[in-house]
Amino acid sequence: FRLNIEGLLVYFPYDYIYPEQYSYMLELKRTLDAKVCYNPFIKLISSCMQYAYPLEVTKLVYCSRTVPEIEKVVEELRKLMDYYAKQTGVKNDFLALALSSRKNLCIHPEVSSLRFGKEVDGKCHSLTASYIRAQHHSNPSQPVCQFFEEFDAVGRQVPIPPGIYNLDDLKDFGRRKGWCPYFLARYAILHANIVVYSYHYLLDPKIADLVSKELAKKSVVVFDEAHNIDNVCIDSMSVNITRRTLDRCQTNVETLQNTISRIKETDAAKLREEYRRLVEGLKEANVARETDIYLSNPVLPDEILQEAVPGSIRTAEHFVGFIKRFLEYLKARLRIHHVVQESAPQFLKDIYEKVCIDRKPLRFCAERLRSLLRTLEIADIADFSAITLISHFATLVSTYSKGFTIIIEPFEDRTPTIANPVLHFSCMDPSIAIKPVFGRFQSVIITSGTLSPLDIYPRILDFRPVTMASFTMTLARTCLCPLIVGRGNDQVAMTSKFETREDFAVIRNYGNLLLEMSAIVPDGIVAFFTSYIYMENIVASWYEQGILENIQRNKLIFIETQDAAETSMALEKYQEACENGRGAILLSVARGKVSEGIDFVHHFGRAVIMFGVPYVYTQSRILKARLEYLRDQFQIRENDFLTFDAMRHAAQCVGRAIRGKTDYGLMIFADKRYARADKRGKLPRWIQEHLTDGSLNLTIDETVQLSKHFLRQMAQPFRREDQLGLSLLTLEQLQSEDMLQKIAQIAQQA
Amino acid sequence: MRTRYNELLTCFSLREVLKEDESGSLKATVDDILFQAKRKRVFEGHGQVRLGMMRHLFVIIDSSRSMEDQDLKPNRLTSTLKLMEFFVEEYFDQNPISQIGIITTKNKRAEKLTDLAGNPKKHIAALKKAVDGTCVGEPSLYNSLNVAMQTLKHMPAHTSKEILVIFSSLTTCDPANIYELIKTLNALKIRVSVIGLSAEVRVCTILTRETGGSYNVILDESHFKELLMLHVKPPPASSSSECSLIRMGFPQHVIASISDQDAKPSFSMSHLDSTSEPGLTLGGYFCPQCRAKYTELPVECKVCGLTLVSAPHLARSFHHLFPLEAFQETPLEEYEGERFCEACQGELKDKSIFTCQACKKVFCVECDLFIHDTLHCCPGCMQTDRTS
Repeated sequence: FRLNIEGLLVYFPYDYIYPEQYSYMLELKRTLDAKVCYNPFIKLISSCMQYAYPLEVTKLVYCSRTVPEIEKVVEELRKLMDYYAKQTGVKNDFLALALSSRKNLCIHPEVSSLRFGKEVDGKCHSLTASYIRAQHHSNPSQPVCQFFEEFDAVGRQVPIPPGIYNLDDLKDFGRRKGWCPYFLARYAILHANIVVYSYHYLLDPKIADLVSKELAKKSVVVFDEAHNIDNVCIDSMSVNITRRTLDRCQTNVETLQNTISRIKETDAAKLREEYRRLVEGLKEANVARETDIYLSNPVLPDEILQEAVPGSIRTAEHFVGFIKRFLEYLKARLRIHHVVQESAPQFLKDIYEKVCIDRKPLRFCAERLRSLLRTLEIADIADFSAITLISHFATLVSTYSKGFTIIIEPFEDRTPTIANPVLHFSCMDPSIAIKPVFGRFQSVIITSGTLSPLDIYPRILDFRPVTMASFTMTLARTCLCPLIVGRGNDQVAMTSKFETREDFAVIRNYGNLLLEMSAIVPDGIVAFFTSYIYMENIVASWYEQGILENIQRNKLIFIETQDAAETSMALEKYQEACENGRGAILLSVARGKVSEGIDFVHHFGRAVIMFGVPYVYTQSRILKARLEYLRDQFQIRENDFLTFDAMRHAAQCVGRAIRGKTDYGLMIFADKRYARADKRGKLPRWIQEHLTDGSLNLTIDETVQLSKHFLRQMAQPFRREDQLGLSLLTLEQLQSEDMLQKIAQIAQQA
Repeated sequence: MRTRYNELLTCFSLREVLKEDESGSLKATVDDILFQAKRKRVFEGHGQVRLGMMRHLFVIIDSSRSMEDQDLKPNRLTSTLKLMEFFVEEYFDQNPISQIGIITTKNKRAEKLTDLAGNPKKHIAALKKAVDGTCVGEPSLYNSLNVAMQTLKHMPAHTSKEILVIFSSLTTCDPANIYELIKTLNALKIRVSVIGLSAEVRVCTILTRETGGSYNVILDESHFKELLMLHVKPPPASSSSECSLIRMGFPQHVIASISDQDAKPSFSMSHLDSTSEPGLTLGGYFCPQCRAKYTELPVECKVCGLTLVSAPHLARSFHHLFPLEAFQETPLEEYEGERFCEACQGELKDKSIFTCQACKKVFCVECDLFIHDTLHCCPGCMQTDRTS
């Protein structure tokens, strides 16, 4: 139906609407010219989409995390557009598409059969790079990708017909036309109205530069599932260098050297041409930035653009020599026996003293390398990932004096005898990566089901939100049941606290909890542990005590491992066991793959048990450095941040079970520390609301009783009519006066 | 019947109490939903639908380890069997020309307790005996459904074929893919309903949805009983089921005294199965086709296969076909007239009153439920019929 939100006509493709959705749209409308930070429960995709349409915002960029999420968004969009077309009768020229990596989009028979994304990228590059194609002209036996050729020949002139394209649609379209879907999509995002892709295309400077730099300034950017956005930002700016990287880099340098000497003999003019270009400097890039066409690349700060590449690295040989020296220096640094932590300026000073490398040429390292690779016509970029990484590191370390730290660890903490030196160049400040996004786009919307507490996000991402709001859930029945279990039946406190985590009684009580729950919860149970090691220890101990055997009498047990293939196999079998009535338990790890991307709807997750508080590994030096930085720069206390981080992951884990209003599930927090106000208060509002005094610090027996009761209540027939008017509204109900008042209370301004 | 109507009453008053309770919103809303569903159930199906009057019902009773749980007193098994006894009696009372069979499942196996038969005594005896059985292992939904299906698939198409599963466990141990079996059941038009004793299990949801049955989970004993009683009423026949004329015999009871010279003492045919009945008798029911003797009705003649019933039996299932229309509910304030119930002559004190659409007489809640559940005819209308 059509809605009128404060003068704005919104088309809504469903017959019923959740009150929260209405409220969300309202808030969105009020604030859509700046940055917004939201906390809704349900996916409000369609409301965002609606929004884009009537306002005629030129472009909506929707960033999500995983491929299934992206597909879901596109499907929503399709529904909306069908509805819109039906309502207005106008077939509009609306283009929306999803973009993913080459691995997901490639249709080349050979390339697409490769297993790893990197291989696909490399192979693709070796078939489509410009000089390869130039060689193909003179030498037809040189293989090229016919799909790309076809696209390049005609694809750019003929625009992709308007419509909604998900990944499969793009592939189909590509096959039909014989065009490469990946390049087609990359080209088409320039004039598409809605683009749906992964965060990395916008945040990771290396990729953003390729894909997203030409997006219009008036675009609206939405980050969905953004509770981890700070970590994504940090990861995209951090560099880890191991000895293996350096070894491979060494090989790269040798290859470069050989190629240079070869080219010098055959085609010296080419190198001279490059030299001339470099003297003129990066002016071109500068022009582009001023006219505001490009998204600024955080790796490449403004000053660089104004200067010419310094003379010391201008010629190819000099540059290679320079890189070699740098490499040797890094190798020497990795040959240490104790942990070193230093800031970027310290590092620069040291490098100047030891090998006389100045700050300035270092800053140009990345640009210079790129230029060289282009000049040398190196086909397989994937082989050069090591040297590229080093050059990025060089540029970053010399550019940012604040917000980064360098930690060199000679060995891993767990295996102090095996030398495995790693240089972490770690970003402390997520705002560096996200700053260009905020700076450039008209509106940025950050939204997730578990952004809590809200006020910490603006602080760590360093922006001023225009509106922040969190929404509750209106429910016709209480379909979630959070319980905090604090004690075993023997009154021993249950906790994953470091001092007591090896305690026999604690482990036994955890085992008993799982055993009791496995007997009363139907179908699937998902249990989360704080880490892989902790899970291994506990499971081994349960096995010795015979608890595992007893559990297996009730349900099958599956375990998440660090191996992705093994895990997806376990997941598949888990779902099968839930489906055919055998029942199953999935043991997994908070922060693992399962906790982040996989939904356990309905019978796949009737209960989630969170064993312990999922604190991040606090002994890690990188974390310590980051905490220090947060304290100094943003006045966020270490403890606050750690708790915040643990609780958002806990919320993320338990939130896996409930994916809609007809769904129901138990959420069991098995640690007495959850009952404390500082932890409880950091859970999302929709969980907190259902956490009464009666569900704190329970024993196992009490938990079983409450759960049994809850499950029976929830098993009673529940139809759509029961929801209507309470948590599901028709248009008439929505327009009634007191409903509007109720809706006003849903959004809580934070 | 009396007890059931009492339960409905308690539920009514419960609702009143809970509505005032602000903090216990959960229970209040769920109960509210339940109550609405119940009222709807009482009145739904009214109107002209065909009902499957000849029913063949298999009851599958889970006897696995989980039946030892003591959340029903004294434990789930005893409580269930007790209710089943009541159910069997009630079932034959309402469906005189139907049959029932009982299957138990434990230790991954299914075992037929009694075969399909129309005699309540045998079933009740078997149920009484089963109380002493032990509950071990896991149930097997597949095996028990398969056992029931083997018998039911030979039943004629005009009869209603049903399975009722009383499922306490949360898991099932199956030898093969149960979804294949569900497809077969669906093709055979066997309706499977499940009453869960602990929680909602996915496979049962699918099973009942695919075969057109109902799936309910109990809240407590009284709710359990109520859910069980829902299965006493014949279900609407599926539109695709055949119609056929059925031959039935209506044997008259012959009473002969010893003084009568012609009377010869004889054994009844049911004597072949059990020796518990008195041996030689003079009177009994004689099959009009083959003159075989039976002491009890209804029964299927062992010699010629004719269904033997008595006329009152058929009459008793008559009300299912022409149920009483639902009374209209109106708030008490809106009613202007003398405030007493037509049936019990008591004062109308409840929030709402019920008016018969035909004779416009008013009734109180209790009488409304009593009339619809037990009497099946409106006293007001009966009176007007007679006077006119």
